[in-house]
Amino acid sequence: MNQIKYGMVIDLRRCIGCHTCEVACKMENRVPLGVWPAWVKEIEKGFYPNVRKSFLPLLCDHCDNPSCVTVCPTKASFKRKDGIVIIDPHTCIGCRYCMMACPYAVRYVHPIQKIVQKCSFCSHRIDAGLKPACVDACATGARVFGNLLDPKAEVAILKNTHAVQTIKPEYGTHPNIYYIGLDKDAVSLTGKEKGKAS
Amino acid sequence: MIDILYNVGHQEAAGALIAIYFYLTGISAGSFIVSTLAYVFGQTKFKPIGRIAVVLATVVLILAPMALLIHVGRPFRAWRLFYNINFTSPISWGSFLLTLYPINCIIYGYFIFKNNAKMTKLFGTIGIPLAVAVHGYCGFILGFAKARHLWNTALMPILFLVSAIVSGVALVIFVVYIKDRFFSQEGKVNEALIFGLAKLMGGFLLLDLFLVLSDVLILLAGSEDAIKAGWLLLTGKFAIPFLGIENGLGKVIPAILVFSTRLRTTNRVVLASFLVMFGILFMRLVVVLAGEFFPLI
Repeated sequence: MNQIKYGMVIDLRRCIGCHTCEVACKMENRVPLGVWPAWVKEIEKGFYPNVRKSFLPLLCDHCDNPSCVTVCPTKASFKRKDGIVIIDPHTCIGCRYCMMACPYAVRYVHPIQKIVQKCSFCSHRIDAGLKPACVDACATGARVFGNLLDPKAEVAILKNTHAVQTIKPEYGTHPNIYYIGLDKDAVSLTGKEKGKAS
Repeated sequence: MIDILYNVGHQEAAGALIAIYFYLTGISAGSFIVSTLAYVFGQTKFKPIGRIAVVLATVVLILAPMALLIHVGRPFRAWRLFYNINFTSPISWGSFLLTLYPINCIIYGYFIFKNNAKMTKLFGTIGIPLAVAVHGYCGFILGFAKARHLWNTALMPILFLVSAIVSGVALVIFVVYIKDRFFSQEGKVNEALIFGLAKLMGGFLLLDLFLVLSDVLILLAGSEDAIKAGWLLLTGKFAIPFLGIENGLGKVIPAILVFSTRLRTTNRVVLASFLVMFGILFMRLVVVLAGEFFPLI
């Protein structure tokens, strides 16, 4: 089988919240100040002494049914044959409709180019036979990247032999980032920012 | 207890400019429909306002896309909208509607001023679906944003259309009054005409109120995020603009002024139409800004 659908499994039992993926992504993709294609949401919950920190590494979900691609008026956002959703920087007019439609808020306006950008799974690295920068940089091996359709790939084995969950599956976008041990409290909006009154 | 220690906030995707764009297309579509009352539907009592209405519709619709061009990051790439067409995207539909509709307005207006009744009726008839589409698609733009519960409702296009007609009629009342009062030789206002328009406006105001009520009620019966969006409008940050200005000042008070035979005078109807225009501007702002008020992650 030579069909390819790239995806990622993030094993949250291993994530220590070091933000290395975030920094590696910014370095690799030359992301300007103030915007992040990938980041780690961090929450703190419970009452002393029974407390816990939860981490939620976020990036583009490269959905099977991407709502950004549905609404892009110039086909600048498109899905490659290998499943990666990317933005053609020469076609995007910066209308931000994809940002309105994306349920995961992973898109941002490039402050210099004034077009919309997001995580591309480091498509330039994949085309060169490498893994995405965040995967290579992950200190604990929590991020596993590969072809979800290849039954021998580590990512497919992890996904098929563990209890996995995606973020916001209810929107029917079929995300391709699977989390092992996803914390509902980290995904939901019930938390408040520390230091701010409700 | 959950504290968020670190998160990246989302950027505002739509904004006040988009709200103003919706407002202007709404006014344009509404006043176009008012102008067709006389020339297509044969309501001869509305004939005196046909010309004003079509000029307003055209001018406002030429202004409206300017707000869009300021909003987009790369306005000089706008030609891409006509070259890389995506049929599933409402903005793609809109780029054609926003071209065809003003052209049709200009042709229709030309035949009105030439007193060519047959051609006026033809282009007026073509214009009605175009006017409905040019504003209805704005509702689809918001409706396609599936994660925003305030937007993602089938009511959005019809809500937009009804408020468009309301604001269009209001603008026509306002401009007709100004023109008759200050720029005509007699300086006399055609009261029957203004009351006729006011009744039309009042009817659509009541329909608009009903649609808003059902929208909010269904939000409150929805999922967790939908309930949050509903209470944001009723008790949260948007309570004063939504309940006070949009619905109180902009719909309930004008409806009372228009329908109460004791209170109705020409001046009050004009005041009501001014309040309506103000209220609909707030409706656009509330819908657009409250829709993306909450972060998604």
